[in-house]
Amino acid sequence: MRRRHFLLASAGAASAATLVACSSDDGGSGEAPAAGAALVVDNAFDLKTADPARSFELTGALLNRQTYETALTFQGSDVSTPVPQIASFTISDDARVVTLKIEGEHKFADGSLVDADDIVFSYQRLQGIKGNPSFLLDGVEVRKVDAATVELVSADANPALPSILPNPSLGILNSELVKANGGTTDDSDGAETFLNGQSAGSAAYQIDTLDVTSQVTLKLNPAFVGTKPTYSRIVLENVPPATQKINVQSGTAQIATDLNAEEASGLAGGRTAVISQASAYMIFGWFNTDPRFGGPVSDPLFVQAVRHALDYAQLGELAGAGSVQPGGVVPSQFVGTLAQDPSNTYDVAAAKDLLGRSSYDGQEIQFLFSNDVAVSGVQLQILAQAIQSQLKAVGITIALAPKPSATSLDSFRSGEFQAGLAYWGPDFPDPSNYLAFTPGQNVGLRAGWTPQSAGAGEVVTLVDAAKAASGPEARGAAYEALQRQMNVSGPFVPIVQPAQNVVTAAGLEGVELNPIWTMDLAAVR
Amino acid sequence: MTLVSTTTRPRRRVPEALRSPLTVVGVVVAAGWLLVVVLGPLLQPADPLAQSPDRLAPLSAAHWFGTDSLGRDVLSRVIAGARISIPLSLLLVALSASVGSLLGAVAGLLGGVVDEVVMRLADLVLAFPTIILAMVVAAALGPSLTNAVIAMLVVTWPQYARVTRSLVLGARDREFVVAGRLLGIGWFTSLRRDVVPNVAGPVFALTTLDFGNAILLLSGLSFLGLGTVPPTPEWGLMVSDGVQNFTAWWVAAFPGLAICSIVLAFNFIGDALRDALDPRMQKAVGSRAL
Repeated sequence: MRRRHFLLASAGAASAATLVACSSDDGGSGEAPAAGAALVVDNAFDLKTADPARSFELTGALLNRQTYETALTFQGSDVSTPVPQIASFTISDDARVVTLKIEGEHKFADGSLVDADDIVFSYQRLQGIKGNPSFLLDGVEVRKVDAATVELVSADANPALPSILPNPSLGILNSELVKANGGTTDDSDGAETFLNGQSAGSAAYQIDTLDVTSQVTLKLNPAFVGTKPTYSRIVLENVPPATQKINVQSGTAQIATDLNAEEASGLAGGRTAVISQASAYMIFGWFNTDPRFGGPVSDPLFVQAVRHALDYAQLGELAGAGSVQPGGVVPSQFVGTLAQDPSNTYDVAAAKDLLGRSSYDGQEIQFLFSNDVAVSGVQLQILAQAIQSQLKAVGITIALAPKPSATSLDSFRSGEFQAGLAYWGPDFPDPSNYLAFTPGQNVGLRAGWTPQSAGAGEVVTLVDAAKAASGPEARGAAYEALQRQMNVSGPFVPIVQPAQNVVTAAGLEGVELNPIWTMDLAAVR
Repeated sequence: MTLVSTTTRPRRRVPEALRSPLTVVGVVVAAGWLLVVVLGPLLQPADPLAQSPDRLAPLSAAHWFGTDSLGRDVLSRVIAGARISIPLSLLLVALSASVGSLLGAVAGLLGGVVDEVVMRLADLVLAFPTIILAMVVAAALGPSLTNAVIAMLVVTWPQYARVTRSLVLGARDREFVVAGRLLGIGWFTSLRRDVVPNVAGPVFALTTLDFGNAILLLSGLSFLGLGTVPPTPEWGLMVSDGVQNFTAWWVAAFPGLAICSIVLAFNFIGDALRDALDPRMQKAVGSRAL
């Protein structure tokens, strides 16, 4: 989980999601503002900068989505298929070359047209600054072909690239304007201050005022060539969740983005509406496969017993309405997701049988988790206690080992802890991001899983097949096969994708949650 | 008349202090909690660890204090929590007072290098905010009940050492102590027989006042995830669980009220005892009376 604190938004996405929007009788006064008025959005800020090439936070993605267009985008909440925004794209058969061709006219606020130079500058600047999102274009050479065409050439096959390009960090800037204000394509770039004062994009809105700790106001981009937004002004306020609820109930805000399932449940109906969808976060259990550290949990039979001992439905209830059980490590919104898998089903008899055949003999298992972390409102501490209780029912004794996240992550990363509960948010919406969970890779090693581990050989073969697969269907099938095998011999037990909840004033339309940028405010009406 | 007045007044002061309405409230509440500690298992309507599908249920006849995120009965957990927080805090205060008082008494009686070392060590600890230092120690040792007590002991002994040392310094030059030493008794015997009885009162008053602080510190560490390990029903941990669900107010409110009531009760009692037992307070009260 590289740069976990900057990971993609916990916003929900589409396919397996539930959408609940109803009217309430709670007597609240929240209602949609008149067209042309300001739309007030309450968000718990993690904003550091409005410079897209430096921003990789949730609030930053929400903000930059409104002020910068990207070469490619996703339609609504569907992140499985990138579609054109500024440009259309083709990808070579070997998945090494992505060619972007600018489609139609796109204008910056000063009236100038977006061209290939702007795309090349924006991408090279992102790479050269070496900021948090720079890794998105690691190993990619950006070339201008002509005034409307750009080639992105990767050293190795990079089928995920089209799914990376919609990230708001890859927003297209007005290169002339940014260069005139200190912008460069190396680490001497000095345009951040300028970009925190005004935006230089071609999207529907531009920054009016910005205070990264309290409030951002957006005004219309007068040169925007797309459909004119309903609201001429956006006010993005930094508000803690408890106050968000009060604000949206009272009508002070029209959208609240950070309420958990319990808080949001009371707001479904009447003058407020609730949209609940599965987030892209995946909470999973892990068990160390290295016998030196894992002891009895390194036995694959033990992990298989755990897979059947967990009551996923009950754990899903704890995570709130809209949460889903992922079949594998790839979330439900992405290509290659596994809808369900017989290996991960609640079956107490099977769990006891597997446990009886394993080397487990009643030992106490140390179970690590961060006790100060809530993933989309779901406290890992609560989930860990429920898991402890469920495993006890089949005869597995778990000793909870809570630690603050500052130290628990170090323990997990050391690869020397016995077992635990963790979560993962994707860096980009593509299944290749989840190869980190395979033997010898980043997350795999945290559970002591190497290519030499028992049963890892078959997984390694399937990893190679997934990397070589080309096209959505072939890639999807390859990643599904990989996850099925991981569910048999792997140390990770996918437990739940918690829900993300957004509460809006009743009558607001066009609010579609997206796991990368939360929502497109220009589409709200 | 003056002699009669000064010899009888101290005997009356403890009852006078205890007759204060706040003291009576404190004693009643504290006695109530001690009763809960003793009779806890008989009073719990349910297993405090038993999870149920009835999650975050509000107050009802079945669950007087409602249920928490895992469907556990909050009343049962508050009662069970009393059997953890109160005895542990008593243990901590006892340990802290014993260690601190012993070190303070030795420092005061021996003086010199021993005094310097002990007091500078105490100054070092007192230089840090209590909760911050306790957090550092608890985080370094790892979350557990034992480690929380160790962390709290590390940060609480100096105040006893300082108070005891100052009392010993006052007592060691009194005639009967000097006389004892001149008669050849050892310093430890002098400490035990002549000094301790004369400093015990104020130290005891301090322990009563400190009990509330111990409860708060233990709860604070658990609230921050550095104390008790779940699913143990400890009050601070319960408050921590509850504040994540502000719509279900009862999850945090009842353990919070439990902490509040026991802390206030012991503060009231401690105030009264301090008034009654601290020689300086006696003097002040005596002056007013005269």
